Amino acid sequence: MSGIGKRRAVVVGGVRTPFVKAFGKLLKADTIALGESAVGNLLQRFDVDRKEIDGVVWGGVILPGLAPNVGREIVLDLSLPHSVEAHTVTRACASGLQAVTSAVNEIERGDADVMIAGGSDSTSNAEIKLPQKVVHAMAPLAFGKATPGDVLGVMSQLVPLNEILPKRPKIAERTTGQVMGEAAEEMARRNEVPRTEQDEFAVRSHHRAAAAVRSGRFDREVAPVDLPNGDRVHADDLIRADTSVEKLARLRPVFAKDGTLTAGNSSPLTDGAAAVLLMSEEKAKALGYTPLAAFRSWSYVGVDPADQLLMGPAIAMPQALDRAGMTLADADLVDMHEAFAAQVLSVLRMLASRAFAETRLGRSEAVGEVDPARLNVHGGSVAIGHPFGATGARMVTTMAHELAERDVETALLGICAAGGLGAGAVLERVS
Amino acid sequence: MSDFLLELGKNPNARKMIKQLGLPVPMPQDLARAGGPWEERPLAEQQAVVGVGPNAALQGYVAETLARAGADPWLVGEGHDGALWKAPGEAYGRPAKPLASPVPDRFLANALVFDGSGLESPADLKRVYEFFHPLVGRLARCGRAVVLARPHRAAESPAAAATQRALEGFVRSLAKEIGRRGATAHVVYVDEGAEGRVPALLRYLLSERSAFVSGQPFHVTMEAAKGGGTDEEVPYTRPLEKKVALVTGAARGIGAATARLLAAEGAHVVCLDRPQDDGPLSQVAREIDGAVLLQDVSAPDAPERIANELREKHGGVDVVVHNAGVTRDKTLAKMSEERWGQTIDINLAAVIRIDEALTDGRVLHDGGRIVCLSSVAGIAGNMGQTNYAASKAGIIGYVEALAPTLAGRGITVNAVAPGFIETRLTNAIPVMIREVGRRLSNLGQGGLPRDIGDLVVFLASPGSQGLTGRIVRACGGAFIGA
Repeated sequence: MSGIGKRRAVVVGGVRTPFVKAFGKLLKADTIALGESAVGNLLQRFDVDRKEIDGVVWGGVILPGLAPNVGREIVLDLSLPHSVEAHTVTRACASGLQAVTSAVNEIERGDADVMIAGGSDSTSNAEIKLPQKVVHAMAPLAFGKATPGDVLGVMSQLVPLNEILPKRPKIAERTTGQVMGEAAEEMARRNEVPRTEQDEFAVRSHHRAAAAVRSGRFDREVAPVDLPNGDRVHADDLIRADTSVEKLARLRPVFAKDGTLTAGNSSPLTDGAAAVLLMSEEKAKALGYTPLAAFRSWSYVGVDPADQLLMGPAIAMPQALDRAGMTLADADLVDMHEAFAAQVLSVLRMLASRAFAETRLGRSEAVGEVDPARLNVHGGSVAIGHPFGATGARMVTTMAHELAERDVETALLGICAAGGLGAGAVLERVS
Repeated sequence: MSDFLLELGKNPNARKMIKQLGLPVPMPQDLARAGGPWEERPLAEQQAVVGVGPNAALQGYVAETLARAGADPWLVGEGHDGALWKAPGEAYGRPAKPLASPVPDRFLANALVFDGSGLESPADLKRVYEFFHPLVGRLARCGRAVVLARPHRAAESPAAAATQRALEGFVRSLAKEIGRRGATAHVVYVDEGAEGRVPALLRYLLSERSAFVSGQPFHVTMEAAKGGGTDEEVPYTRPLEKKVALVTGAARGIGAATARLLAAEGAHVVCLDRPQDDGPLSQVAREIDGAVLLQDVSAPDAPERIANELREKHGGVDVVVHNAGVTRDKTLAKMSEERWGQTIDINLAAVIRIDEALTDGRVLHDGGRIVCLSSVAGIAGNMGQTNYAASKAGIIGYVEALAPTLAGRGITVNAVAPGFIETRLTNAIPVMIREVGRRLSNLGQGGLPRDIGDLVVFLASPGSQGLTGRIVRACGGAFIGA
């Protein structure tokens, strides 16, 4: 995709907020406030001339009902020039990556030179909705003058009571009703991923993330959030340096009685945001920035949610590799979103399976084994946390930095998402 | 058209009470039927238990079929080839697991599949007993039992032939024993070399779309060749995409149900019926975005008109369903010549005339399908139906003889023989006779028009290439004519 004469969009840098346990320290910051924090810090760190910004593409999953175009709200709240247009995209857990690739598209088409892309989500601020039955029943009262008869009519429509109580929001598939964790539990069963292997994977994720924090590796990527009350949230609070397989083994399964998924080997509900600064290569040079990376390819796919909900990356990642003209062995780094350890391990099994490649990808050889040393080198969502809309932008940021840090060529990204969606992308180093 | 006992049986309390009182009332099981068009994984979340005999040659196809259709395979006994089970399990995330012995409490199987293709001597039949004996009580309501076998005529020794033929008797009896639970049993005889044509049939038999087919032998062959003998990938969803189907007698009943089901799988359906049925016929056609062809099939110019219409407006036809038929019942002594002549002409002679026009002019495409409607009455005969039974038995002979002549073009010719189906026709039968017709079958109930339609759709689909010149009964295992 990086042919001569073609415009190329480059990643200049990225910043994220600390990823914080839901209903914790960032309770008072909604998704717009989190996005503001990430974008504000990004502009500050990279000293971006605000007049140069063409637009913002933002990703989110739990969008505020009254202001769903989160991107534009961020622009207005940060007092960026009114000319900075913005739109908001949603593709479940791949929303952050979607925002980034959409922005790349705009730049590479020549529609823009400087874009900010990212995503945020505040699980703590999910809206509790009145059931539609109540809304519809109340309509005569809300519009025009209601007679006592109308009121009685409304009352009579509101029984039985349990149908009008607001429902607790949950991460369930609309079509199948299956909760995400149940889907991952099913994948663990279908792909024969034992509990111990999941726990070991989770522990490795925590240890690697903890090491990155300790060494200061995340410092350039994480910027604090200032809260309205003057408090400042500095650091990720989900990573556990001291966890161990023995500790995780004590946790009880949460999604099935005799299941294998626990709070320890699943990604936690998280509040946070991440933002990436993207420019056309010429513009970056003109403005004096050193680009980190560019996208060689990407792929978004869909599978049947009733089959194996989170298997999408097993199809999207090989497709992205194909489009980049590479094989799995060529990828120096692999970064996969860890919705659940079981889901990552299932996808790894699929990639390594010749039978899977033959039937699902129509190729005669397995995609290949992923070397654990190259996979999620600084941990993943199980340890760091997973604010749905932000994860994709976090991964792009970390991998863009890592390519430069290690002086290697390419990184393969993979993200699973609700609705049976999957995403894959290949980042290449720009030097 | 409602079946009182079936409705009563749907009420768990009534069911329990009748059982406890020990009343001699049959409580037919409400049959599970599929909704919507064919699915990628019709067996999702179903538990399929698989056993094999010695030298089981078909287990790889079973493994592939189950995993791809979404079933969880459980293996019992010995003789399973691990490698054959591993690959599909991995590819579709349906790993085959050994089923503990004795069978764990509360385990229910939705399907029992036994590969008996390698059974060679009567002593080998013990393997069949060993597999089914502990599991038959664990077959879920509306479950399925399928035995795979080799045609006995091709067996290498008389003993092997006897062994393979024995499986048919076993399955027919098993179907009677499990029928009250809405479950069915079948045997599939597979020619050497025709193994690749098994999965589509197996998938159909294990699915809810074969609900009213019970106790049948199937023969899978390479007779109807297509693409030089190598079959291309069979589509499992929207199998009739881009196909044109002609359904005669499509205004109501089985014809209308069939037209709807064909359309649901992607076919463009030309709905044919008599001019006086314009109203209901147009309604069906509108509903499924099909075409209307008003034509009396017995008219002298019907074959030519139908052929011309199909050629000119639809570019030919891929599926022909001869559903139009009449009954003109009278005992022979009282039967007028007109009743006799009409029945034979519409039910049999017209079918032959129309097919001639469609095949001679190559209006029926290569790889096409002809599905005729026969009847259990045509197999067993029926009081007051000398004319009807003659016409429907004639269809059997016709199908058997026509199939080889079209096999070279990849066209299959089959007949469906419905048993008691709940339609306008059968609703007019006096109540006592009707009750006998309904209950004297494995499943203890009548079928619905869509049950015939489901079978016709399968026979019309690319996956049925292995079946030709066959009469498939959709009769709920009617006791007559077996």
